[in-house]
Amino acid sequence: MSGAQTSLSFRSNAGKAVGNQKLRAAMKHAADTFGTKRIDAFAPVADVEAMRDRASAIREEVLKNLPRYVDQFVASATRAGATVHRAKDATVAKEIIRKILADRGARRIVKGKSMVSEEVDLNAHLEAAGMEVVETDLGEYIIQLEGEAPSHIIVPAIHKDRRQVGKLFSERLGVPYSDDPQVLTRTARKVLREKFLSADAGVSGANFAAADTGSLVLFTNEGNGRMVTTVPPLHVAILSIEKMIPSLADFPDFIRLLPRSATGQTITSYVSVITGPRKPGDATGAKELHIVLLDNGRTEILGGESRDILKCIRCGACMNVCPVYRTVGGHAYGWTYPGPMGLILTTLLTGMAKSHPVVDASTLCGACVDVCPVRVPLVDIILQLRRRKVREGFSDPKEKAGMALFGKVAASPALFALGQRLAGRFWPVVRVLGGKDVAGRMPAPAKTPFRRKAP
Amino acid sequence: MSGPDLSARFLGNAAAAAAGAHSVSGTGDLLAALGRIVPAGSPVYCPGLTELEKAAAPLFPNRVADCMAAEVTVEEVFGAIAETGTIVCVSEGGRAVQAGLLPAHHVAIVRRDRIFATLDDLLAVVAGAPPTNITLVTGPSRTADIELTLAIGVHGPERLDVIVA
Repeated sequence: MSGAQTSLSFRSNAGKAVGNQKLRAAMKHAADTFGTKRIDAFAPVADVEAMRDRASAIREEVLKNLPRYVDQFVASATRAGATVHRAKDATVAKEIIRKILADRGARRIVKGKSMVSEEVDLNAHLEAAGMEVVETDLGEYIIQLEGEAPSHIIVPAIHKDRRQVGKLFSERLGVPYSDDPQVLTRTARKVLREKFLSADAGVSGANFAAADTGSLVLFTNEGNGRMVTTVPPLHVAILSIEKMIPSLADFPDFIRLLPRSATGQTITSYVSVITGPRKPGDATGAKELHIVLLDNGRTEILGGESRDILKCIRCGACMNVCPVYRTVGGHAYGWTYPGPMGLILTTLLTGMAKSHPVVDASTLCGACVDVCPVRVPLVDIILQLRRRKVREGFSDPKEKAGMALFGKVAASPALFALGQRLAGRFWPVVRVLGGKDVAGRMPAPAKTPFRRKAP
Repeated sequence: MSGPDLSARFLGNAAAAAAGAHSVSGTGDLLAALGRIVPAGSPVYCPGLTELEKAAAPLFPNRVADCMAAEVTVEEVFGAIAETGTIVCVSEGGRAVQAGLLPAHHVAIVRRDRIFATLDDLLAVVAGAPPTNITLVTGPSRTADIELTLAIGVHGPERLDVIVA
């Protein structure tokens, strides 16, 4: 996905999204539901703030010593029987995975949900090599049938309503139309069960990796993640290097925080801890396990001022509460990761030249910081990126000139009063000059300024 | 926390996660509970490895050797966590963790003295040298991927019963 020469068109995407009533309704429903469920899930927990502090400290410790934890993970996973590959970028990662699969003659691949695989655009690479790649998470399956990208990191098809899914299933799978989620889910179970049992390989992501034992930890609800990682003879996991946690003993707080923050569940239906492939005497596990550790710019981020974004555990809470995300949805951002954490990662991973428009996709209200379970200073990082955007010359010259003028005017009471009077009188002209984007949408100023009404 | 409190807390939280929650005392009581829970005549996978599984096995005339062919799995699991209402399935001792995944109905028996109070207590036990697979299971398989509407039974079991014995 990276490498595109043109910059992301957040502004025009957002403009279109704002006019899409179906999308607006779906996003509002999702945001309200998630907001309430998250609050309810944390309500009975006694020491949430202390728990967040502990989790944040563990993530901080991992970042401080990331190369050491990665090396430790590689050694322990290898000792457990896995083959670990290190990929410096997306191209290398995709090719490693294609080769592992091709060397073993794998044609049918079942996939668990993995945002890192979306980041490197893995499916297209494997499909170009003639492999059949089936997404098995229900939301991912829906958008794969539709030929779309995820619009939320936890609920990929959040932008679709039940009637759209019903129509899609009846057209593509030849089943009678139904818009009952339970019926649609049953259809997916039937179609995908057959895929699991006949697959040559499973490809999954991982939520975390335990450095001291070489274990992968996956949080899932549907059971597809368990299928992908245990039913086919070959399991390939792809994850980015910052997902390290020192030890399995450090996990209780993450198990308590991640599902509550993500979906408002006390715990997901399944938490799988996978340590190496099947060993002698085991009845469970893939016969072969390959783990691909993706850097793709993380090491560079780690050395920069915005490194704290690497603490992120991908719960999605920041997007659920973000007034921008809630209004425009995930696709408007134009790359893999949406919302506050997404616009930061997008900018850092794809570069300012491409992604400077999404740096604006925040009101800086700080709701994201309030909910982040590991205390990523999202607003501070967005401000850093905005300063960088200006420094590197990507800000709109009109906006820059306008702000300089406003700065002058706002600093002088006389000029400010004059400005108010002029704006009130000549508003129709200002609207035209200011363009449709901003001034065109603003309400006209009051005839009598508030400053003159106030005592 | 004492034994009976742990058991009650575990069962309460399991029920809150949409599992069927049962408590029995003695083998006779367990068999009676299984008779009520498992639909008569359905193909059952019961590995018969532990004392409790050996006691339960004769109850099922239609026992299958491969969990893939079963509609119900009846097994004793490694343990449970009271804090979350979770059962803990591990691959230790040649256990097929898929037994609790492939059939549509999973019946898990857990011994009263194998209930851990918290996630910390469980992880302290398994963190040092984990077996190939540890799966924490809380309630049946579920999704909310369509309009965030809960649907039970996606790829894993649509029904989970836990029995404290």
